[in-house]
Amino acid sequence: MVASLYGVDAEQPILCVVAESAPGQLEPITLELLSKGREMAGQAGWELACLLLGHENRDLADEAFAYGAQQVWLADHPLLEHFTIEAYAAAAFQAITRFKPGVTLFGATPNGRDLAGRLAVRLRTGLNADCSDLELNRNSGVLVCQVSGFGGGVLALIEAPHHRPQMATIRPGVFSRGSPDYSRSGQLLPVEIEIREENLRTHVLRRVSGESVDLTSAPVLVAGGRGMEGDFEVLRRLAEHLGGEVGATRPPVDEGHIERERQIGQTGVVCSPDLALCCGISGAFHFVVGIEKAGTVIAVNSDPQAPIFEFSDYCIVGDVHLILPALLARLEKVPNA
Amino acid sequence: MPELHTVVCMKVVPKPEEVRVNPQTRLLDRANARSEMNPPDMNALEIALQLKDRYGGRVSVISMGPPYFEPVLRVALAMGADKLYLLSDRRFAGADTLATTYTLAQGIHKMGGADLILCGEESSDGATGQVPPGLAEWLDLAQLTLATQLDLDLDSRLVFGRRAVTGGYEELQVPLPCVVSVRTASNEPRFMDYRIKERAMQEDPITVWTADDLGADEAMIGLQGSPTVVSGLVQAPSQERKRIYLEGSNEEIVKQLLNLLREVL
Amino acid sequence: MDQLEEVVIADERWERLLELTGNAAATCYQCGTCTAVCPWGLVRQEPLSVRLLVRKAQLGIPDQDGQLWLCTHCAQCEAHCPRGVNVGQVIDGLRQLIWEQNQAPFGLPTMLWSLYWNNNPWSQPPSQRSLWAEGLGLPRFDPEQHEILLYAGCTASYDRRAQKIARAVVKILQAAGVTVGYLAEEEPCCGEPARSVGHTPFFHELAERAANTFERNGVAHLVTISPHCYDVFRNHYPRRDPNFHPLHYTQYLANLVEEGRLQFSGQVDQRITYQDPCYLGRYNNEYQAARHTLGAMPGAELVEMEPSAEESLCCGGGGGRMWLETEAGQRFGDLRVQQANQCGAKILATACPFCLACLEDSVKASRMTEIRVMDIAELALQAL
Repeated sequence: MVASLYGVDAEQPILCVVAESAPGQLEPITLELLSKGREMAGQAGWELACLLLGHENRDLADEAFAYGAQQVWLADHPLLEHFTIEAYAAAAFQAITRFKPGVTLFGATPNGRDLAGRLAVRLRTGLNADCSDLELNRNSGVLVCQVSGFGGGVLALIEAPHHRPQMATIRPGVFSRGSPDYSRSGQLLPVEIEIREENLRTHVLRRVSGESVDLTSAPVLVAGGRGMEGDFEVLRRLAEHLGGEVGATRPPVDEGHIERERQIGQTGVVCSPDLALCCGISGAFHFVVGIEKAGTVIAVNSDPQAPIFEFSDYCIVGDVHLILPALLARLEKVPNA
Repeated sequence: MPELHTVVCMKVVPKPEEVRVNPQTRLLDRANARSEMNPPDMNALEIALQLKDRYGGRVSVISMGPPYFEPVLRVALAMGADKLYLLSDRRFAGADTLATTYTLAQGIHKMGGADLILCGEESSDGATGQVPPGLAEWLDLAQLTLATQLDLDLDSRLVFGRRAVTGGYEELQVPLPCVVSVRTASNEPRFMDYRIKERAMQEDPITVWTADDLGADEAMIGLQGSPTVVSGLVQAPSQERKRIYLEGSNEEIVKQLLNLLREVL
Repeated sequence: MDQLEEVVIADERWERLLELTGNAAATCYQCGTCTAVCPWGLVRQEPLSVRLLVRKAQLGIPDQDGQLWLCTHCAQCEAHCPRGVNVGQVIDGLRQLIWEQNQAPFGLPTMLWSLYWNNNPWSQPPSQRSLWAEGLGLPRFDPEQHEILLYAGCTASYDRRAQKIARAVVKILQAAGVTVGYLAEEEPCCGEPARSVGHTPFFHELAERAANTFERNGVAHLVTISPHCYDVFRNHYPRRDPNFHPLHYTQYLANLVEEGRLQFSGQVDQRITYQDPCYLGRYNNEYQAARHTLGAMPGAELVEMEPSAEESLCCGGGGGRMWLETEAGQRFGDLRVQQANQCGAKILATACPFCLACLEDSVKASRMTEIRVMDIAELALQAL
């Protein structure tokens, strides 16, 4: 049996969240994991730690304490200013092997998954990806992860009883963020990190955000059809509020209301958003194949016979020109909806 | 200049919608499920073949799995890959990503290494996405994950890739040899070349290696080499659309909608 | 005026094209009639130069500018060619060369992969192929018990709109007392989508497999929903059982009407015009079956579009175009529904799932309220 670099007998009763940050702030996923981590650690009688990797990032420790961390392991190094897999893996490895947490959690983000994936092998331990739930058993100290597979058709419970740390990645939005308490504080432990520039093999030449349309990775799709009668402005604003993208069926594209890159369906884009809001769309086959894999489908159409309702989880027989503006008005009132 | 050798890691998976969990035994029942090539691996193979079109060289496909993988994997040869390596041994069974990446790494060592190792972003069954970084770690190579585009500078031994990140992308430069994972659906895989298909499916020899052929440490493969253990398995609730109609006045509907949105997002 | 460009005639490529086209381009003397009658000239400034495509085949020049993929296989050109050139075969040969060069248009490789992995061109799960028949009491085909095999085909199996045709046909057959079964999940794709995009070797592989399945199941009399499936079964399948006798469902219904097994007692009372499917009409010379069936429906007044029958305008769905995007303003269907409207029809009757999809789309896009598209089977069900 393969053995992890440190085992159950050497582990500390610490649950560590490996933080992701942007300049001056912790990413929402980190706040969510800290909140959940605090709950789990509390129930098991463990402590919650937050590993901060960055440069001149000491201020972030306050945020981590506020969200429940009892320890912050601070790795502050110029080579950690931007994410590179080599620097972050080296630093995280050094911190984890020093403090030997029983559990480490990562965001299932592009960087988080890369980091966790590489570390798990370096540590010779088990890693569970995209967990939909977690439970830390207070008696055994075993982390049970709920994971879905086969496109969501199967739910599995997975654990790594003999290997440490027990590692898991979690998608943003799975757990909710608790309320911060800025009066909280904790132990700030600086971590000396050894990284050399010549060991960094990845060079980031350029970072680009928000440039081209990528409907395939949008978590929310607000799609409009003929029933919108060209009013895509309300859909654009809805999409903005919901953190998603606007898509369309072929007729509005033909009529020039929206770009062809946003056409969804057989001859357009096939995507799998968590939420697809279909407005004024009848639901012909060649459109539906574009959103079949969506998590939840909500459809609004004035025609009760519209085929789209067969493919929807929630059906609204109504006038898009009344319902959508009303919805938008409510969303605009509530900040951070 | 030695020719470019690209290795593509591929997996044969069951069609996800056909996999069942046996309610009595609580075991996965994939006996009746049709098999297919893991779709993101097809995207990885397409990139490898495009690189071969541009820069020449050869493409090897490697896979860890039982013999029934073979007819599906031969599709890769029909698409234009040059060689197929199947790592097949009962002792490889039950492997999680730690054991799988270890085994694949041994296979790549035995091949004599490669300039570029491509993987699909994740597989449609486990969907962990852990194989590419894990493999890179075993091989002590640089990595470039979630690549949508790749360019090579063979003289400088560099890969230039576009990596998809939340809300945008990064342009990275990484030295060869390295491991690259290819973003799902980032290209359209070419169809098989029917001038070579018959030969690819029936005649071309393939290389099958066992654990002994690889000189693999038995403690590191299969169930032995897997820290993670499945302690429970259930069929997820039906994927059928709910078809719930929201009733009431427009204001009431908007209220229900808001609650729904809060729940889902 | 065509621009002059330097062209290199390569022996190898010339020979390959000769092989792939079966030398179909040989007898063409470049009169240009094909270009003149091609429907693309009706919807675009620049007609599709079919003449040039045939010339390229004669000279062994691959088509690089994508015009090749506009062809909907409507065979209007073949019908008028004074030399009887099999233009379709020339187009398919040129397309097959493009496949060999790995330069097919985006979307078509995905469609072929879907045929390979899913046994249908729509990327739908193979395990869900028979769901359309739920609740109809349609049994698995047994040659000892059933007069005919109903072959639904991929589009009628998966496209919600087209499923209604298949269900209507089943109900009509049951009402007429016909013993019918189907192959359910084991129904093989006929392979026509592969043929329609010029991938002839893959088509032959699919056809072999399907022919084996039919043989294994003792299928002799087979009734299809789509004229595309009917055409390949009738004309391009390996000859096995001499008793293998495919029919399109409109032909079978017309027979039932003739034999008195199918009687229409309901009133239809509509002005109806019929869209001749290219694959039934020009390809198989079948213009009467649907008309006879319509004629037997009480109150149905049959009017003809201008043009109709042998000169019928293609809906635009053949030749693989159901998997390619056609620009707005260039759709044959838009023109066809105008023609339907002009002849005073209230119902545009179709006998092909592609015609149904394309023409319904055009009616909606043109915002026509006076005319409705219905399939012959749906009308027949109403008239029962």
